[in-house]
Amino acid sequence: MKSWTLRALACAGMMTAGVNAWAEDTAVTVRLFQFQPEEASIRAGTRVVWTNQDDIKHTVTAGLPGQPDGRFTLVLTGKGATASHLFTEPGVYRYFCERHQNMRGEIRVAR
Amino acid sequence: MTRAMTTAVVVVAVMTASALGAGCSQTGTSMGGSAMAAPAMTTSGTKAAGLRSGLNNLLQEHVYLAAAATGAALDGRDAEFKAAAAALDQNSIAISKAIGSVYGMDAELAFLPLWRRHIGFAVDYTVGVATSDKTRADKAVSDLIGYTEDFGAFLASANPNLPKGVVASLVKHHVVTLKNVIDAQASKDPTRAYMALRTAAGHMPMIADPLAEAIVKQFPDKFAG
Repeated sequence: MKSWTLRALACAGMMTAGVNAWAEDTAVTVRLFQFQPEEASIRAGTRVVWTNQDDIKHTVTAGLPGQPDGRFTLVLTGKGATASHLFTEPGVYRYFCERHQNMRGEIRVAR
Repeated sequence: MTRAMTTAVVVVAVMTASALGAGCSQTGTSMGGSAMAAPAMTTSGTKAAGLRSGLNNLLQEHVYLAAAATGAALDGRDAEFKAAAAALDQNSIAISKAIGSVYGMDAELAFLPLWRRHIGFAVDYTVGVATSDKTRADKAVSDLIGYTEDFGAFLASANPNLPKGVVASLVKHHVVTLKNVIDAQASKDPTRAYMALRTAAGHMPMIADPLAEAIVKQFPDKFAG
């Protein structure tokens, strides 16, 4: 009985760990005028956190240069600044920096 | 000796002369009592010296080609402008490759559009001056000044030995000296234009030297010997 309980607890723990793994934040670093990684694949319900390592203002703007889609616009004011967005819906989210439009990134959200 | 071999020998000789010329030019500027910082490494033939002379060569070439392009544009010499602009872009690519050789392909790819941006702003300024469009010229100057902060931030991110403010200030001086060249060209004063051009080119070691020194300091093993 004891071993059965322990096994059940272990299973529950693994499931919880699995859920937590899905819910963990995904980090994107902004450095040398690049989003690193440029492409990230996540599960719906994941929050992506951008951290600016450049000593200059960048933005994280959904869409393409000249065609922002309005889904999110984040401002990273300077070195050390962070901003995040919770992705709840599956899809492909392209984004760029409004100030330096060669900076592009993409988040792929799966169910 | 075959024709191909002769050509190869000439190419090598030209490259060698070019490299030596860059070194002589750098020494000449230093000895000429300009505001250039005193060289920290004067031994030729080391990797550090090669880096330093290479950056000096590229950045001074940038100024001369930019001035050739703006001069041709202001005089309405279209074919010459296109040729100069194409050569200027080749120089931009070479500078970005130099950055990439130290910081990697990603940095190279990020640097090139950033560098090209300031050339675009200089073109805007030239067009503004040529068409007496003060609003356009003023915006281009404002964009160029703003750009210096971007450039400073890029190099500061790449190398902690390069403070953003210092780099921005040095690049700001580059912008101002090149603007003086364009203004003199626009006023059809060749004497002033060439004086301004020498000043603008003479400033570039102020950027190339600290950049080279900071890179060597950051990667001493890579540039040892």
